[in-house]
Amino acid sequence: MQLNESTYETIFLLYIDKELSPKERLEVEAFIADNPNFALEMEALQATVLGSDKIQYPFKENLKQQLDTTSLEDLEKDWNQSYATILKADVEAIPSLSTSFKNALKKDATKEGIVIKPFGFSQQKFTYAAVAACLMVFLGYQQLTKTETRSSAASPLVKTEISNASPKVFEERIETNAETKQVQTEPRAITKLQTSSSSKKQGTNLIQQASIAMVEPTPDNGSLINQAMMKEMPRTYNNPITIDAIPVTISSANLDLAPTEVEKELTSYEIIDTEDPNRTIFIANFEIDGNKFRGLTRRVSALLKRNKSEKEK
Amino acid sequence: MTDKAYNDCVDNFADGVYRFIVKNIRHTEDAQDIVQSAFEKLWVNREQVLPEKVKSYLFTVAYHQMIDHIRKSNKMPLSEDTKIPQQQIVQEDEELKQVLMRAINELNPIQKSLVLLKDYEGYSYQEIGEIMHLSESQVKVYLHRARLILKTKLSAYAPIAS
Repeated sequence: MQLNESTYETIFLLYIDKELSPKERLEVEAFIADNPNFALEMEALQATVLGSDKIQYPFKENLKQQLDTTSLEDLEKDWNQSYATILKADVEAIPSLSTSFKNALKKDATKEGIVIKPFGFSQQKFTYAAVAACLMVFLGYQQLTKTETRSSAASPLVKTEISNASPKVFEERIETNAETKQVQTEPRAITKLQTSSSSKKQGTNLIQQASIAMVEPTPDNGSLINQAMMKEMPRTYNNPITIDAIPVTISSANLDLAPTEVEKELTSYEIIDTEDPNRTIFIANFEIDGNKFRGLTRRVSALLKRNKSEKEK
Repeated sequence: MTDKAYNDCVDNFADGVYRFIVKNIRHTEDAQDIVQSAFEKLWVNREQVLPEKVKSYLFTVAYHQMIDHIRKSNKMPLSEDTKIPQQQIVQEDEELKQVLMRAINELNPIQKSLVLLKDYEGYSYQEIGEIMHLSESQVKVYLHRARLILKTKLSAYAPIAS
């Protein structure tokens, strides 16, 4: 750096702009000390430098972002303090794990920073359960409609057999119930139907051989009916199958009617081959109101949507 | 950049950016708008801005917005009431500084910005060049010219000030 009359101005400007190295600054100061007439020049240039001026931006707080109440540092502290406790509780909540495996898991999880959650109820599981329940209800409903179709398809044969057999049976019933001349079975009556291979062969008197096992009587004719019924009870039967019975009301007048009219009011029976390994037995059926079922599915779907939206939030 | 780091930037640099802009355009509301826009832009691009470059990023954004503002202002001259009242700028009471500020206000916008960035913020020529998109030698030449102009004007104002 050569300071002289032709270069001093540039070097002085660099000096006041603090662009010189400390060594160069010392050289300039030494030059001014040696040449006092340049001191005024330096003062004039230094006068062009702005001093400190404190101006504050008035809306700093508006510029700032709202921080969470829990800062990252706080989270880190909490994590260190409570992590071991949480992890221990979570691992202990899994009952089927062996102690050694739990201990190993604790070490690994602590190292990796993983929290082990106990098996419990989760929204995903609930979703699967709800879908499975809906599916089961749907299949059950479908099965119910199939059963009804099949029973209605099977009934003509049975009804025909009953119609063939019925006159004799009901004659006996009417004899025992001569005063009222009416045979009634209660709506809740359960009929046990028992079949035998010989009944098929004989064919003509089905109900005498595969007959009613239990009928709840009305108060007025109960004992008489029971006696009559017991006469019809088969001597040998096995593997009785219980089916729901349709309430039957038979008046004496009905006996004189054509079989087609009587069979409408008679209980339908189905012969079941209990030895058939491929048989299908419906233990229970249930009926679902269509509107209620739709309402239920809507509620389930609304619940799932709500849970999903809350989870997204 | 985290929320907390951003808020620290507001604490550390908002005053400097505001001072730089308000000294340049001499209009508090517009200066506040420019500062707000600069910080908004920083927030939007916080993932791309390096922590050590935050200050120069803020000044760069604010400077270019100020240039846009000056261009618009030249087309639509400010009315008298939009000009900044003198008492709104906190200045030192020394008369020489008032004279200096008057002289600086008479510089062209580039020279004015150079002086403000150099004196208030203490940026080097290189940093000023990055902010104002100038080369280092350009900064040096323009700033030296500005100093000489100020020196001349101060010498002219000196009898009035005295």
